[in-house]
This record gives sequence, structure tokens and C-alpha cells, in this order.
Amino acid sequence: MEKRPGKQLLELTVNDEFYELAVEPQETLLEVLRNHLGLTGTKEGCGTGECGTCTVLMEGEPILSCLTLAMDCRQKKIQTIEGLDRGEGLTVVQDAFLQQGAVQCGFCTPGMVLATTALLEENPHPSQEEIKKGLEGHLCRCTGYNKIFEAVEQAARGKSRDGDLGSV
Amino acid sequence: MHLPRFRHLSATSFEEAVSLLNEYPDAALMAGGTDLLPRMKYRLDSPEVIVSLKALPADSPSVTPEGNLALDPLMTLTAVNRSDMIREWAPLLSEAAQRVATQEIRNMGTLGGNLCQQTRCLYYNQRHSFQFVEPCYKRGGEICYFIPKGKKCWAVFMADTAPPLISLGAQVKIIGQGIRQILLEDLYTGETEKPLAMASGEVLSQILIPKAPGNRGAAFFKSTLRGGLEFATLSVAAVLDMEDDGETCSTARLTIGAVSAAPLRVRKAESALTGKRLSKELFSQVADEVVAEIRPVPHHGHSRAYLTECLRAETRHALCSAGEGIKKN
Amino acid sequence: MDKLDYVGKRVLRKDGPDKVTGRAMYTVDMEFRGMLTGGILRSPHPHARILNIDTSRALKLPGVRAVITAQDTLGVKHGFVETPRYPPDQHPLATDKVRFVGEEVVAVAATDPYVVEEAMDLIDVDYEPLPAVFDAEEAMKPEAPEIHPTHPKVEGPFHNIGGKTASGWGDIEAGFANSDYVRQDRFESHLRTHGYLEPQATVASFEPDGKLNIWTSSQGPFIKRAKLARTLGLPFSTVRVQKAYVGGAFGGKIDLFSHEFCAALLSMKTGRPVKIIVSREEIFSAYRHGQPLIVEVKTGAKKDGTLLAQQFKIINNAGAYRGSGVVVIFLAWGFAMLPYRVANFEYEGYSVFTNNPIRTPQRGHGAPQLRFAVESQLDMIAEELGIDPIEIRMKNARRSGEQLPNGDNVHNCGLRDCIQLIDKHTSLREKYGQGRAAGSSDRMRRGIGIGVSSYFGGSLIYPNSSSVVVKMNDDGSVALLTGAMDIGQGAETILSQIVAEELKVPVDEIQVTAADTETTPVDIGSWISGNAYVSGNATRMAAGEVRKKLIDLASEALEANADDLILKDKRIYVAGSPNRGLTYQKLVSASIQERKGDPIIGEGHWRTMRDEPFHPSLASTKGRWSENYAFDAQTAEVEVDTETGEVRLLRAVTAHDCGFPINPLLVEGQIDGQVSMALGHAFLEEIMMEEGRTLNPNWLDYRMPTIHNMAPSEHIDVITEKYEVGQPYRTKEVGEGYVSAILGAIANAIYDAVGVRLFSTPFSAEKILRGLGKIK
Repeated sequence: MEKRPGKQLLELTVNDEFYELAVEPQETLLEVLRNHLGLTGTKEGCGTGECGTCTVLMEGEPILSCLTLAMDCRQKKIQTIEGLDRGEGLTVVQDAFLQQGAVQCGFCTPGMVLATTALLEENPHPSQEEIKKGLEGHLCRCTGYNKIFEAVEQAARGKSRDGDLGSV
Repeated sequence: MHLPRFRHLSATSFEEAVSLLNEYPDAALMAGGTDLLPRMKYRLDSPEVIVSLKALPADSPSVTPEGNLALDPLMTLTAVNRSDMIREWAPLLSEAAQRVATQEIRNMGTLGGNLCQQTRCLYYNQRHSFQFVEPCYKRGGEICYFIPKGKKCWAVFMADTAPPLISLGAQVKIIGQGIRQILLEDLYTGETEKPLAMASGEVLSQILIPKAPGNRGAAFFKSTLRGGLEFATLSVAAVLDMEDDGETCSTARLTIGAVSAAPLRVRKAESALTGKRLSKELFSQVADEVVAEIRPVPHHGHSRAYLTECLRAETRHALCSAGEGIKKN
Repeated sequence: MDKLDYVGKRVLRKDGPDKVTGRAMYTVDMEFRGMLTGGILRSPHPHARILNIDTSRALKLPGVRAVITAQDTLGVKHGFVETPRYPPDQHPLATDKVRFVGEEVVAVAATDPYVVEEAMDLIDVDYEPLPAVFDAEEAMKPEAPEIHPTHPKVEGPFHNIGGKTASGWGDIEAGFANSDYVRQDRFESHLRTHGYLEPQATVASFEPDGKLNIWTSSQGPFIKRAKLARTLGLPFSTVRVQKAYVGGAFGGKIDLFSHEFCAALLSMKTGRPVKIIVSREEIFSAYRHGQPLIVEVKTGAKKDGTLLAQQFKIINNAGAYRGSGVVVIFLAWGFAMLPYRVANFEYEGYSVFTNNPIRTPQRGHGAPQLRFAVESQLDMIAEELGIDPIEIRMKNARRSGEQLPNGDNVHNCGLRDCIQLIDKHTSLREKYGQGRAAGSSDRMRRGIGIGVSSYFGGSLIYPNSSSVVVKMNDDGSVALLTGAMDIGQGAETILSQIVAEELKVPVDEIQVTAADTETTPVDIGSWISGNAYVSGNATRMAAGEVRKKLIDLASEALEANADDLILKDKRIYVAGSPNRGLTYQKLVSASIQERKGDPIIGEGHWRTMRDEPFHPSLASTKGRWSENYAFDAQTAEVEVDTETGEVRLLRAVTAHDCGFPINPLLVEGQIDGQVSMALGHAFLEEIMMEEGRTLNPNWLDYRMPTIHNMAPSEHIDVITEKYEVGQPYRTKEVGEGYVSAILGAIANAIYDAVGVRLFSTPFSAEKILRGLGKIK
């Protein structure tokens, strides 16, 4: 193209903090999170929507930040893995992943944890099939998913005991 | 992977989207972005302008004065799956929407986007910086890598919501120079270079599903290797409408997905069911009929022989399942 | 045996909190001021002469800071194997020829990825395409195009031989002659890839004072340092490869990659940090795939099931350069001869050049392909002889203390226990045959199968040994310095557990510095299944030295015998008189005062085969290989849908002699992950290639297991070793051994279910339908 489209002002709320950023139209939410805001917990495993490592929560729903344009996130509340930290230690989901040995290399972990958090918020007692549907977009090469499954089940039990997915 | 540069415009209505698409001939329409953006990352599409529909909220399902269920194509697939009204009216669609891709993609991707997705092929869906560099037919070139001596493109249409909606007799409204309404199955040309019968300045604006008559049984089967994440090896959507006796089929609609450039209605097989009493033997015969009528394109590494047997088995299962699920309305 | 407090316990991994919070920094996450982006221009031809490279237009593009070709390098080659017989054969950037699609030709550093992309379009490379060959057996033919000359030491008419392994013992012809039953079969394993979630990535920062800092996603920093230093012409002391978290590797991140070299050289040229992140598509198409093997095996047995003779011919499709191809044909020999006693044995393996991207080890490194073949054939022999699968394996399985034909000893070998326990646990003998006997009208048919395998834990490959330093801090806490690379397997955690056990300090209070070539001692790396055994024993030694010093000091200060002292909670006290004790803090202080400033540091090192100078010959297998062999038996229970050909893995059981588990929680995770990888190997994953081009370079079409495909995985521990404070131990390995037997078990289970015998992976629905006669 002849003239490069310039940067535009983007107002974005990430992890309850408000940002005003100068962003190019083709920048994805993933690039803005990682490159502008230094929030590197959200990963790029593929960039084309097949692995789930770029998952963030938008208005509480898991979406793929690698396939979301930053410009389309105006006035939306975004939560990344870093946003689970409210200064009170690990959440029920994070702790369950640790306790069950559901973390090996850790690259899929932020996406898995966020997707699990959203799943259990929406459906506190998911069936086995519902867990699989909720996490089918998250590839893990290390664990074989067995311990991840157990972590989700542990978190569901923990949530129903304590009522929310806040700190352990 | 980064996207190529473009100008981003946000439309606040379908009409505005049409107007922007006409103002900028090299513009692409974007709803969920889950089909367009990966293609752009592969540099298969590099529009100068993206007209984004993300700021447009989706209308809830409603019933039209003519008695059809009207769906906003901007409903996400998750919203489709969660809608009680859709589940009541067209459970086949609820089920199919839930089979698409992954939870995250369903949260982002729209029903309209799924219906309007591009056709796919192994040799196409990748960046061509050092592999298959010379453009094939689908990329505007003059060769086909899949069939080396081929004279046409062999990419297949793989959307999961299309076969069920076609079997449900759905129609669509398209806004462009005015509004036109066509059967959904007529939206698909079967020509891989231009899979959709839509001009570049047109926008799919509504999906209409007629009410189910009396007794109906329906089933949707999507065959995959893993049970989730991936596109279909093939899919079968069977809708059986019954006579009042509940045992004789009055109308059958059978649509097969992912084995051709468009979803395929299998009309000979459908007539084999019309007016007949349903039975497992009949279903087996019809499955054989389907296999005789369709030559599946051996897409994405699956052989024709395998797809044929898979089609036979899945058609039989879909018909049996539809038969078992016949419900009085 | 003393009660253990930390070793053998389900300790939560030390880096877990970093990973679940997103704090863990991987190479892709590293940012430096002024950092440039790098990119690689790749060959579109599988085989071509490079006539000319014109980078002038790219150099003029604003934002481009450097463009390099082979001309800018020192011309020093590298290779996975670098020995006199197999000298290095790869240039980081192609010189006069390209030999695979995706081979690296030019590298660019620019201010952002957009400029890199534009610059690459402005680089003109003129190629003269040459005839290419992709199939290994085709490439061996005398008329095949020559990719590289056949190895000078390999006799015979074959072309394109990168290396050959030949070995044997006994009298193979006599063995067959004396056998009651002989059969010959051919098995083929297909092309797969690692699929690690974190992409290949490198950050290089060359400082004005001549120091090159590297962060790279790898399986061990020391081999990277060595190869970078040599190819760049720098002394080791100026090349520092530092730790970054690694998002999985599975064998795909071992030796030097072009992008690592290029990032470094680009940084040296520009004086700025350079980051290269490889796209997923490049990883799937131009990087390393696993090694597909053709296994031809002829076996002779007596009618009681005793194996008398076994003859192997293996062909590896190595890709365009030697890579690790000459290693896999050696290892395939090992994995063929380890589990069973065969008196007469002959082995021949060829690693063949083809115009494909270079192949590399993938978890199991030849064992999956070998065990699939041997275990399948063994069941066929058993059936012919009227013996059940358990009986024939018990007849031939190695026993504890058995001497191997290569001079090694298996020491404590739990294989027979593994087989018997797994039979008991799964009732295999009762279930076997039921699926076929039940009749052919059922749509879903079930079957059970068993496979057996063996793996080694650590062997001599550069850098050959591990060293560890354990230091006391003056507050009584402990620092562990190890070159070990945690690639997800939990290396840092288990080494901390060992220190914790030796010094009775909680695992949380051990501060770990790891995987930094400058500050941590050398480590063998995480690709040789030696972390637990080699790095672990080095750690034990180092902690043991600290322990001894603490005890000596305490013994003196408390006027007690060393044997009467108890270590607990960072304190040493006299047994029976807990008040008579001193904290570590006091002991360290005493040491500094009384031992001329010695702050208490312990050093340990370990190496397998301490009496051997080298790894056995890759070509002849002569020489002692390892003193540490692990064994396992695995079963698979499957359900086959005879209408669609789909197979579901209902249950996988792993009975494993892993020595003893340092951390059972981590061991379970390794088993589960390997069962999953085997499931992918068996049913789902296939790299499809055509003329050297990868058709499915993405996760949609390269179908790794998802959570839908989770396999119920059980395990039985057969403990054959133990840990004792202060003593060297033999704990085998758990990282690579369990992807292999299960593959044979699945093949055998499918046969048990539907009577279809498969001779190639993947066990696709189509093959099963063909076997059932549903597809002609």
C-alpha cells in the first residue's frame, strides 16, 4: 500500500488497569499485551489459533488474543494470567495445577489455567465431557492431559467448597 | 507471526458495512476473524482495509411474521449453542455449533462467518515463502499442486454449520444493492475459486430457519480423528420429516460436508427415503446410495477409499440416529 | 535403610509457581533495549546449486541493519555428531548448494518484523535446480542423484550412505538352521515430529567487550556453547549461554540450529541484541522431524519359544545432512538387543541421505520403531508356536545380573517382574484371544496386547559428564549450582530433592542457579536420559562433600563421633541429646573462622562408564555403552470400531523398572506424557511430505492428541534400586523409555481385537478397514 496507516489511540482495560496506547491497526491483542504492556505470561505457540497458548479472558470468556485485533478491544475488560494475582497468593485453579503435577514445561499452563478458571466460573460442576469441550483448544505435549484433568476436578471441588476461585 | 498492514474501519450496521465495502474495493469483511486472520498471517489475503463487525452487537433469535426463526449471523457459535430458542426450534444447529473448532474459537467465531468461510486445501493453507511458491489456481495461478495435471481447484468447503442448516431448509438474506433472499444451499457455488454466490460488496444479514413440521428426527455427525479442534474429515446432516403415522418418511434431507467445494445435498438418496417406511435395512441401502452418488474429494491426506467407507458408515449412523430421535412437534 | 525425607516423595516442582502465574520467562519473552528482529531466508528447492545471492536491495532498505550469507561466516562446519569417522558436515548458512526445502541461505536483522519481511522479498537468490530424491531406498540406488558422497568406510554399491552400523555375535546361519520356526517381516515407521509448544527462539547479545550472551530454547547450554564458539571462532570463555525456561523439546532442540548461529553473528555485526523467533510453520517444515525407520527383521525360535537367532536390517531416512542419523542406527541396535537374550544376532543399519529436512532424535530415539517391530513379530511367533505372549517373553527376558553381549551388565533388572506383574494386573492371559473368539458380528471389538522395551540412562556423548556445586550460605540455607536444563521434566526439582536429602534442608530453602555456562558447572544435557543418574549422582556427591564438612566440624565442636550425629532442619545434634547441637549457621561461621575462611562448598561430578574413555563405536558398536539400563513392560487395551476403523485406547498400563523414583509425582507425569505421545504415534500424527515439502505444517493437520484423546494411564512401579544418603545410586531413567513398548502393545492389541496385523505406523482407520476387507 502507498501510505502506511498511522497509529491510532486505543483505550484498553487489562487486569483492571486502564491504558491509553498508540497502536497500529494490524496489531493483535497478543502483540499489544506482550510488546506494549510487557505482559509476557500470554504466549504465542502458533499465531493461527490452533494451540490455545495465547488465551486471555475478555469479559470473562476465553478468547484467542493472536486472532483478535487490538483495535476491536476498546471498552472491553481483558484479563491475562497476570491478572489472577490479587496479592493473595495462588488461586484455587493455580494451586490445583501445582498440587496435581499438571505443570511440566509450563508453556500451555497460562492458557489452561485461564480456560479452566472461566469454565468453572460458568459451570461449577462440569461433567467430564464438559471439561474436555472446555479445554479442547489447549494443546499440551508434556502431560498427556491426565493430571490437567485431575487438576480441573480438584479445582471444581475446591471451588464448590469455598464458593469462589480466589486464593487458596 | 504478524499480520500485514491494513486500515481498520468499524461498521455499526450491515448497511454501513456494505457501504464501506463498496467504497474500498480491496476491503475484507471481518466478523469473528478466526477464518480471515490466519489466512492473512499466511499472506493468502492482504486486504488494504478491514471492515470489522465486532462493534455490532448480535440480535437475539426471533420469529418472523412468516413463522421462520430469524438468526443474526453475528451470533457467536457459543451464543448459538447456548440459545434455548435455537435448541427448541433447531436442535441440530445447536449441536453442530458446539462441534466447531474449540471453545475459544466458538466464543469468537460467528455463525455467519462459519457459513461464509473460505474453502481449504493442504497446499493452500500455509505461507508460501519457500514451499509451493508458485501460485496455484486458488491463489490466482495456473496450476494445482493437489492434482498436478488438474485444470481446476480442488479445495473443499468444510464449515460445520452449513450441512445442518441446509438440511433444515434454511434461507439467507443478503444485503448489497438491496436485499435478496435465497436458499442457503444456493449460496454455495461448488466452484472453488469463488465458493460463495456473493458479490464483494454484499453482506450476509440474516439466517431463516423454517419451523419443523409434525414429526421430525434429525442427526448431525462430524467425523474427525481427534474428537475436537479440527475440521471435519466429513460431516453428515440428516433430517427426516415423517407422515402422521410416524413411520413413513414424507421428506428427507441429507447433506454431506467437507468432501466437496460446497456442501452436497444427496438427492437420489433422499428420494430413496421419501414415502418409505424407515428401517435399519433401508438406512444401509441409502448409505450405499449416497456413496454411489458422491465421489468425495480426497482432501487433507485422507484417501478417497477411506472417505468413501467413512461416508457410508457415518451416513448410516446419522440416519439411524435421526430415525431413533423422531419427535412429535 | 534410613527413612528418606525428600527423595522418593511427591515434592511439588520448584518452578511450578512461576509457571502457573505466567512469571516464567522463556526465550521468546526476553526483551532488551535496542533489540533487533532477525529472520531467515530459506531455499524453495530440495536440491539446487546456488549460482548467486544478491542482497544489495535489501541492504538499502531503511531499517535493515545487517544481512549475512555463508560468505560472512568462517566456513566452520558443525554437526550433531562430530567424530573422526563422522566429521561435521553442516554449514550454518548454505554455501554452494542447498539440499532441502527450507535450508537456510540468508539471514537478516532489522528494526522490526515488517522490515525483515520486506527485506527478504528484496533478496535475490539464483538457483540451478538439481535432481532430488526423497525416499531412502531410492536414494541408496546407484543411479540416485548424489546428495553427499557415500561414507568412504562403507563398502558396497549404495549411494548416499551417511553412515552404517554393523554388529553381531554367535553364528547367525547356524542359529536359523537350528530353529524350529523362522519368520521374516518388514515394518515401517512413519515421519512424526516433536510438537513442543514453545517455538524455537534465540536472543543473542554481543557486547562491545567481546562477550556474546545467548538465551536459546534448548536441551542443554553446554553443547550450544561449544558449537557456537567453534563456528563463530570465539573462545568458550566469551560465549555465555544462559538459562531461559524451555517450553518442551523432546529431542528437537539439541544441536546447533542455523537461527542460533545467525542471531549471534547478526548481533556481532550490528552491535545490538538480536532476537529470532521461528514461526510454527517453519518449525513444522524446515526444522527437524523424527527419524522414520524401515526395520526388516528375521527371527528364528525353538518350539518352546526360545529365541535362537535374530537378524536386522534397518534403514534410516536421515534427511539432507548426517544429523543424528548415524546415532539412531547405533541405538536401534541397542534397543534391538537389550530386552531379550538372543544367542545369534546380526545387525546392519544404514543412515541414508535424502533431500528432506534433517531428521533428529525424537523421544525414544529409535526404540519406538524397533520395539514396534520386535514385539509385533514376537506375538506372531508366539501364535504360530501356540504359546501365549507372556510365556514367550518370560522365556527370553533378561535376568538381573545378566551380562550383555557388548560387555555391559544389566545389574538389577526388573524386566521379568514387570512382565509378571502386568499380566497379573491386567489379566492379560485370560483376556487375550477373547476378542477374536467372540465372533465377527459385533461392531465394537476389544483386544489386549503387551510390549517390552529397555532404555539406557546416560551414556558418553559430549559433554560427557555432569558437575555440580553445592554451597552453604552463611544463614544456613543452601545454594545449588548445576548446568542441568529443566525442559519440563523437573530437573531442578529432583536435584534439589537430592541436596535436601543429603543435608536435611527443606527443598524450598535450596536456591538453584542452573543452566548457565558461565556460572554453573558443566552438565551432560537433557537429551541423554541421564539427568537423574548422572547429574543426580554429581549432586549427591557435591552435597555429600558439604555434609561431610558439616559433620566434621560438628563432631569436633560437639566432641562426638560422626556416627552419633543427626542432621535435621538445618541443624546437627547428638543422637539422644537434641540439646547438644549446632545450627548450620553456626557451623558455617565456625568453618570460616577455623578453617581459613572455608565457607563450605562441595563439588561433585559423575560420568557413566567411568572406566571407559569413549562412547562405543557408532559403526561397530564395540565398546561398553552404559551401566544403567531401565526396563519396562506395557499393555494396551483397545476397542476397534469395525465400521469406521477407529481405535480407542481404553487402558494403558506401564510396569516400569525405573530403579527408584526420586519424585513419583514427576515420574507419573512422564509416563502419562509418553503414553500420549505413543498414542499420537499410533493413531493421530503424521507429517505428510511431498517432494521434500511438508503439507501439514500446522497443528490443525498435524494431529497431536488433545484432551479428548487422553489415555487412561496406569503404572506399576518395580523398584530395583534404592537411595541411601552418602551412597552412589543407580536410578535408571523415565524420560524416554515409555513411548516404545506401548507401540508394540497397541499393534498386538489391535490384532487381538480384530485379527488385523499392521506392519506400519500409523495404525490408521484406513489400514484397519483394509485389513478387515472393507476397503479393497
